[in-house]
Amino acid sequence: MTTTTEQKTLPCIAVESLTGCAGELLVILDNLEQLLPFVRIVSFPFAQSKNECGPVDITFVEGSVSQPHDIEKLKRIRSNSRWLIAIGNCAVWGCVQAGACSRCHVEDMLHAVYGDESPIKALPARPLSDFVHVDAMLSGCPINATQFLSVTASLLKDHLPYITHKPVCLECKLRENPCVLIEKNLPCLGPVTAAGCGALCPSLGAACYGCWGPCQSPQMAAMATILQEKGYQLDEVLSRLQTFGAPDTLFARMKPDAEVA
Amino acid sequence: MMDHCFVLAKDSFAEFFESLSKLGRVYAPVKVSDQSYSFRQVESHEQIAFEALRTILPPKKYFYPTQETILRYNDVQIEEHKPEIDFQILFGVHPCDLAGLGIMDTIFTAGPADSHYLNRRQSSLIVGLSCMPDKHCFCQSMGTDCPESGYDLFLTDIGDDYLLEVRTAAGVKAVDPIMPLLRAAGQDDESRYKAFWSNRAQAFTNGFKPDNLRSVMAMEWDNKIWDEMADRCLSCGNCTPVCPTCYCFDLVDIASLNGTSGERRREWDSCQFVGFAQVAADYNFRPGPVDRLKFWYRHKLHGFDDPFGFQTCVGCGRCTVSCPAGIDDIVSVVQALQATNQAKTKHDAN
Repeated sequence: MTTTTEQKTLPCIAVESLTGCAGELLVILDNLEQLLPFVRIVSFPFAQSKNECGPVDITFVEGSVSQPHDIEKLKRIRSNSRWLIAIGNCAVWGCVQAGACSRCHVEDMLHAVYGDESPIKALPARPLSDFVHVDAMLSGCPINATQFLSVTASLLKDHLPYITHKPVCLECKLRENPCVLIEKNLPCLGPVTAAGCGALCPSLGAACYGCWGPCQSPQMAAMATILQEKGYQLDEVLSRLQTFGAPDTLFARMKPDAEVA
Repeated sequence: MMDHCFVLAKDSFAEFFESLSKLGRVYAPVKVSDQSYSFRQVESHEQIAFEALRTILPPKKYFYPTQETILRYNDVQIEEHKPEIDFQILFGVHPCDLAGLGIMDTIFTAGPADSHYLNRRQSSLIVGLSCMPDKHCFCQSMGTDCPESGYDLFLTDIGDDYLLEVRTAAGVKAVDPIMPLLRAAGQDDESRYKAFWSNRAQAFTNGFKPDNLRSVMAMEWDNKIWDEMADRCLSCGNCTPVCPTCYCFDLVDIASLNGTSGERRREWDSCQFVGFAQVAADYNFRPGPVDRLKFWYRHKLHGFDDPFGFQTCVGCGRCTVSCPAGIDDIVSVVQALQATNQAKTKHDAN
């Protein structure tokens, strides 16, 4: 791709990845045509072979920090970027590799997968904001394209984007779905999960499994109580609540009760 | 104003429906799951769930949509968005929901009036329908059990027939094409009508004495049951979209990538979300679930301390059946608050 003079005056964006499934990258790739008239993509290793590593207006980073070189790469990105935006649950909360894998020791997992002489150095997975300042966090698994474009539009105007942290229940009620938690006694995590997906799973009659991570101020203790009353065992409930990387601090209020139960 | 009363045989309902549907789109309760109903567009009278008591969302959604564009802007101007509004017919609106619409009218028409709401309201025909209460209905306690206004036509089920009350000029116009199907109500029809409403009044199994409700709500602000309920509250906000009189919304500007244009949208919001009362400097007027829960209960059962300081609960029972935590059983809460000899606060209880 040749760079024209006009392109050089456009805001520069970069799309980088650490440890994740690349779902976010596919969403961006799918919507690239809408972005291209307004930005110059200086780095997107997933999608183009010629990438620059100079200063960037906006860098979107997907994936969690799971290896030592992720930390170095993230720090380099931070120092090169005016806006650093975490995209996807991995980058925002650490996702499954932080939540579900926290039940095992990282050394045991490494050994089980790679044997005695692992070429990989693994760390317990953590979100970007544990290491660097992150300007905005857009969760998702993968991210919602409309939200991504809206966030980008705000950033291009140098505005901090609006990203909803209301629960999935709002989107579900606005679609007027019958409540699967009430009517089917499914272990739906809609009340404690961040919206943005449009209540995708409950709209199809399935329970929300929390893949976007926690909503703002999630009532984890109440959620656990209500699921236990429906017959779910506490360890299963905790496992569901923690699978997508919800941090321990959110469970501080319920831990004592949990021990009693 | 005296309503004009006619008798419509149930056998003629199909023709009545046909005639209504010539005026515009007809929306009526439809069964959407084992336990739930929803107002949806219906093409045939056979789709209507006459047995429906409460739909998931109340009819407010047809006047105050869940999401709508308010204005559009570009680099030179801001333009109010004027939605295209087609004439619509709401069929099967029960007395509690009519009362709910009355409250919404008061709120949305107070200056400056909400033109989107008003225009939709004015291009609608409301056909009310009588109902028999189930174990969650408590409209009788809230004084909203008898249809007083807010409808153009009202059908009372009097056995093989409906007694059709025509309230407004729009109602007169709507029944004009079907006058051959109708006959004037006679003494026997009026007796059946009175018997229905008398039996219905006796059929309520749920409720409370409403007389001192506002005072009790003020007195029991520190009652321990608020804390007990808040321990279970998910702050999911389900109680507010389902409420016929909850009207709070959020406004969001959605910019276009071109950097010069965009639009402002409003979307239903809920006072149960922690961000609702969060202001600058990260201060929150209602930081905990207990603060938000009490705030909502107070608005419903006491009213705000403002010129609209009226109670906004219409006793439909939607919040009761929509709360995953089971803490929106308004009747039990009111009964507990009205009871004497109780430990008032957690502190007293210890």
